[in-house]
Amino acid sequence: MSSLRIDPSSATPIWSQIEDGVRRLVASGALKPGAAVPSVRDLAKDLRINPATVAKAYQRLTDGGVLTVRRGEGTYVAEAPPAMSKAERARILKEAAGRFADLASTLGVAREEAEDALRAAWKKGANS
Amino acid sequence: MSEPLRVAGLTVRYGRAIACRDVSLAVAPGSVYALLGRNGAGKSSLVRCLLGEQKASSGRTLLFGADSWTTRAAAMERTGVVPEEPDAPPAMTALDLSDFCRRIYPRWDAAAVASRLERFGVAPATPFGGLSRGQKAQVQLALALGHAPELLVLDDPTLGLDPVARRALYDEIVGELADRGTTIFLTTHDLAGFEGIATRVGILKDGKLLLDEEMESLKARFRRIRYANRLTETRTAFGTELDAFEAVRVQVRGWGIDAIVSNFDEAAFARFRAIDGVDDASAEALPLEEIFVALAGEDKGGTA
Repeated sequence: MSSLRIDPSSATPIWSQIEDGVRRLVASGALKPGAAVPSVRDLAKDLRINPATVAKAYQRLTDGGVLTVRRGEGTYVAEAPPAMSKAERARILKEAAGRFADLASTLGVAREEAEDALRAAWKKGANS
Repeated sequence: MSEPLRVAGLTVRYGRAIACRDVSLAVAPGSVYALLGRNGAGKSSLVRCLLGEQKASSGRTLLFGADSWTTRAAAMERTGVVPEEPDAPPAMTALDLSDFCRRIYPRWDAAAVASRLERFGVAPATPFGGLSRGQKAQVQLALALGHAPELLVLDDPTLGLDPVARRALYDEIVGELADRGTTIFLTTHDLAGFEGIATRVGILKDGKLLLDEEMESLKARFRRIRYANRLTETRTAFGTELDAFEAVRVQVRGWGIDAIVSNFDEAAFARFRAIDGVDDASAEALPLEEIFVALAGEDKGGTA
């Protein structure tokens, strides 16, 4: 899960960043059903964070059916992880849109120009 | 498990100087408490009291419910300590020291000490006096964990460590937390290093405990707010528009206002942005280090 990025300085609690990050990796297919995820200990060392924080995120992901624990073996992505709910998707999209809108307004960019930039980026993303 | 650590109304005086003023705090089992403060803020005096090396002028320090001044030995069996100044007889090697400790602690795990020294890359047969500052600290940590303590007290553990040694120390601490859920109380200036590890933060300033709070709640309420101000003629003065956020430090820049606030709220910020005359307002989360500097630095509301 090298693409799991955490910002310890963010106002979003670290467990919530991990939970969102794993859900996104699963939703995007970067983490496939049945794939092993790092142990609490290893992920905590990797990210240099408190293992209790990782354990909390894993617990919530397990409760939500995204991860399953095989006793004595480790933690895996569930065989049929639930699709990200519409509400969650909307929340993540809204957060990112807010950041983009803030940046555009700080730059003094007109709305049309910002929308053009988004459209261009969308096209590029769809082709890659 | 009983409460590992409590400081109750601790005051420490040296003659007329006061190092700690009526400090109270508690460390819950399994938590990682980071006590922050500038040099001379009173951290070392507090730690010395905790370890039974210094008598309180008034108030008490408790380890596992027992007074650490009157019943030091019992508490130390359940506590591992890495002192600020690594201290051991210079001629003794790390192995000698481990052998020595084995005679004191019934639960001593010499094999675990040896494997930690190996992970740290410290030669076990080098006399303590011949080790670098960082290696001495690593030996102290390996020894502090030798009797599988329930509580680990670390006094500025990354002081003098190079980045590689620091990384090894974080790994060891995170591993210890994962394996045994050890409770940790530490003082540090390495705020970025412990930002993701500490669960609770205390800030000492001039002997007083300014703040004692869960890391998550601290992060949630602090922000840096920047905006250009058309509300005043000079554009750079600030008025009452920031009041709701309880600014702890406001600096006037060429382009506008740069404020660190302690009571951030999304809804209040949405209203703030909508004020006619407040331009380009942004709010960003702060690293622990910036929160610390804003609170423990000298002035309040000064200009730069």
